[in-house]
Amino acid sequence: MLHPLIAPDPAYVLLPKQGNSVSVGSVAQEAPAAAPRVAARRAGVAAWAPYLQVTPLTALFLLFLAVPIVTIVVVSFWDYDTVRVIPDMLLTNYRELLESPVTWRTYGNTLRYATMVWALTLAIGFAVAYFLAFHVQSVTWQMALFLLCTIPFWTSNIIRMISWIPFLGRNGLLNTTLIDLGVIREPLEFLLFSDFAVVLAYVHLYALFMVVPIFNSMMRIDRSLIEAARDAGASGSQIVRHVVLPLCKPGIAIGSIFVVTLVMGDFVTVRLMSGGQSASVGLMMANAMSLLQYPAAAANAVVLLLVVLAMVAGMLRIVDIRREL
Amino acid sequence: MKNGISAGPASRRLGRRAALKGSAALAGAALGSGAMGGFPTIWAQNIKNVTLRQFGTGVSSLNPIAEKVKQDLGFTLQMTALDSDAVTQRAVTQPKSYDIADIEYWICRKVFPAGVMQAMDTKKIKLVDKIVPIFLNGKLTPASTIAQGTAPHTVGFVEGKDSVKFAMARTEWMTMIPTIYNADTLGIRPDLVGRPITNWKDIMDPKFKGKTSILNIPSIGIMDAAMICESMGVIKYGDKGNMTKAEIDKTISVLTEAKKAGQFRAFWKTFDESVNLMTSGEVIIQSMWSPAVTAVRSKGVPCVYQPLAEGYRAWGGGLGIAKHLTGLQLDAAYEYINWYLSGWVGAFLNRQGYYSAVLETAKAHMSEDEWGYWMEGKPAKGDIKNPEGKVMEKAGAVRDGGSFADRMGKVSCWNAVMDEDRYMVQKWNQFIAA
Amino acid sequence: MHTATRRSRSFYPLAVFFGLFVVFLYGPMSTIIILSFQGPDGGLTFPMNGMSLHWFRNLFETQAVGDFGGAFQRSLALGLIVMVVTVAVSFMAGLAFRHRFRGASVVFYLAVASLIVPSILISLGIGLMFNILGWQPAWYSSGLGAHLSWTLPFGLLIMFAVFNRFDRAYEEAARDLGATPWQTIRHVVLPILAPSLVGVGLFGFTLSYDEFARSLMTAGSFNTLPLEIYGMTTNVTTPVLYALGTVTTVFSFAVIAMAIIAVQVIRHRRARRGSDAGRAV
Repeated sequence: MLHPLIAPDPAYVLLPKQGNSVSVGSVAQEAPAAAPRVAARRAGVAAWAPYLQVTPLTALFLLFLAVPIVTIVVVSFWDYDTVRVIPDMLLTNYRELLESPVTWRTYGNTLRYATMVWALTLAIGFAVAYFLAFHVQSVTWQMALFLLCTIPFWTSNIIRMISWIPFLGRNGLLNTTLIDLGVIREPLEFLLFSDFAVVLAYVHLYALFMVVPIFNSMMRIDRSLIEAARDAGASGSQIVRHVVLPLCKPGIAIGSIFVVTLVMGDFVTVRLMSGGQSASVGLMMANAMSLLQYPAAAANAVVLLLVVLAMVAGMLRIVDIRREL
Repeated sequence: MKNGISAGPASRRLGRRAALKGSAALAGAALGSGAMGGFPTIWAQNIKNVTLRQFGTGVSSLNPIAEKVKQDLGFTLQMTALDSDAVTQRAVTQPKSYDIADIEYWICRKVFPAGVMQAMDTKKIKLVDKIVPIFLNGKLTPASTIAQGTAPHTVGFVEGKDSVKFAMARTEWMTMIPTIYNADTLGIRPDLVGRPITNWKDIMDPKFKGKTSILNIPSIGIMDAAMICESMGVIKYGDKGNMTKAEIDKTISVLTEAKKAGQFRAFWKTFDESVNLMTSGEVIIQSMWSPAVTAVRSKGVPCVYQPLAEGYRAWGGGLGIAKHLTGLQLDAAYEYINWYLSGWVGAFLNRQGYYSAVLETAKAHMSEDEWGYWMEGKPAKGDIKNPEGKVMEKAGAVRDGGSFADRMGKVSCWNAVMDEDRYMVQKWNQFIAA
Repeated sequence: MHTATRRSRSFYPLAVFFGLFVVFLYGPMSTIIILSFQGPDGGLTFPMNGMSLHWFRNLFETQAVGDFGGAFQRSLALGLIVMVVTVAVSFMAGLAFRHRFRGASVVFYLAVASLIVPSILISLGIGLMFNILGWQPAWYSSGLGAHLSWTLPFGLLIMFAVFNRFDRAYEEAARDLGATPWQTIRHVVLPILAPSLVGVGLFGFTLSYDEFARSLMTAGSFNTLPLEIYGMTTNVTTPVLYALGTVTTVFSFAVIAMAIIAVQVIRHRRARRGSDAGRAV
């Protein structure tokens, strides 16, 4: 399985000349212009090919996503009492949800987490991906370092979550070490069961989701562009700002979608890391579901879905990831 | 099941012929339900091939029980453990994924009416009359008063075979047979609290600021809160287990105030969380289960299950049969349930600090010293071991909270599903968001 | 250009940053590893209560609750199936999305929605659907579907990053040389994208192997490993959970180290024999 991974990227081996021959700047300009040309050339041959290629994906989504979503939407209009859920056509669930200040506060809190985590993972993800893509020369090492980052994720999240308590807790590894070193005298209480802990855990869990797409984008950047910029006298930071950053915008956008959606829907991390003292939208739903109040949870899910879809649409207005394919 | 099954109390072993006779004795009901189709021999021969899937929380989905079932009854019992939320969800939405459901009584009030389980015919449950009366009529002794909340007997029976309507009094159709139950109170770290703890309100002592915890399952957490509020004297509840909106508002506002003042370190949801909070010293006083206290202590950390003046908050779990079970499988399920009450399991559960359904048979499977320590509040004469053979308490130890009657006789309320639970969850979310 | 060896000044600070990132990732692992050596009376938190290998032995014995072995087998099998399906399906979809086709936006937003819809509700929805249709829920049916609803959006979006400015000159060159579309994909596109595809596969496996919320209502009668561990936490408070984490980590390192060494050896031999090293696939 690891073979293709570790082999040198054939892109550079197979057709190095062609890769080199692309002149500076032409790649970025060529892409939009090329698309219709290629599409036109292909039209006769396989206009149906994309449909065929996307069929498995669509079929899986229809069965395992569209059906459940439709169910959720339908149930969100139902009624419920202490013992059962009653099919109906009511707006009560939405009214109760939207009229309650708790909802707004909870969404605000979740958004706050999402923003903080997004900013942190972006900074970390960009730096890590940049290092892997531009400073690690051999594909073998790139993959090795990647795997190094992946291994912790093969230990169940639940076990890792439990282990934060002995790490960050009052008598935890960090506090004892700091006390032993004489840095602090009293244990730091804010390390665990706090917003700090929640954000830390999110960054820990989701930074890799930012690294992977940015790294993939960076690997597609034609190295000759950077050479050319350097030859033209651009400094390192100028190259990053004016060449690398614009060219890996799609990767950044994709990573951002991952991180934002993951944080917005989470209910496990926030409960465990805040010690149950902070609210999130997911947690609100989980609480309703634990008492089988599905209509309330469903209405909340629909609202969340709309909010996050709007956020993603906003991101895509800034970076249209599909146009850059 | 090489040459017999053990279904009765103690280890009354039955030969195959006796087993057939025994099942013939049940024939009326069994034939009536069409379960056995009149071929008991097939049942006897095929029962080894039966597999029952049981799911519940890790508290009672114990592998040693499945092993013993294989040994005693011959068929296979597969256990799957999850947390209490997931158990509820699965019970209601995945009725085909299990044969035996192990759920708690309070949530049974919601699960059973969903029509995913079938009522059990008490005529087929041999020891039904021996079950602790709390589960039959709500009273530990004829003189006891019935505790508040969703008392198990209120959801223990339905009106008829196919009814999902809970009966007001005992009927022939039982929803669940009790597995384990217990009374919760505050657990404390005696080395760190530095003062006597006598009431639920002591958890609100400013001295313990940032070092306390309560349960984070909304419907149970609010009961903890109610015990505290009542003890503080700020609220007088009509029924803690079935609060009015005003009572919920008041309770949540007391809680919110304490939370904002930083009284709580964290809220726990699963067994391990409560144990970890206590052993790590994050929390020194919190609402706790008796076996969790034992678990803390087994790690060399002092911990006491503290009886309080206001009494306990109790909970119980039970086994129910999935609706889809028929024929041979259904018979195996009844066999299993009869076996469950016959003593071995009871003793096994009692040794972990829980209480079991039929005391008489459990007693027969425990040594006199064990029974004295766990159930009668007597000092242990020798070392007290857990089911794995690990020494839990040294000779001379006395169980916190005393005897069974002391504990279960002082239950103030049961974990409950309230009529206003829709409102309660909204308020609970408000509390968490505050 | 790929041979630019001179290390720019930014190399060292970034290398240090990367090092810190790895330390950060492994931070909680360190507690797991230390505490897995707890004595027989030890718990899941500090202080240590003696030192022993007790919990590693215990890991391979029958637990009071749960069944590591069975759950691990299910999770591994499921992860591998999910991996293969995710790579194949998202690669094809990635190809499709390079062209305009009707419904592209719908499919795209379905993928995004799949990421957003709270996992517990998707899980519930799929579980209910199976129940209503009378299908038997199991890890390999409803569970597989639930996991795919999770990994496919990731697979698809990473494919976008992979195809991002993929130079069509390669494909055109191949076509000009008379390759059929299938040959172009097989001999040009696939080899070029192979490392990324393996990356997607790895990502898919990791997501599935550690997936929790979507499995809750879809795993059927038997638990996947994360569910089993979660179920166990309702009763087990011993470091056996940490021992599992330590063994997983050590095992992963060993497998990866062996794989790297093997590949190096193979490549070394090939290079000596003067074969086409570039086509190491």
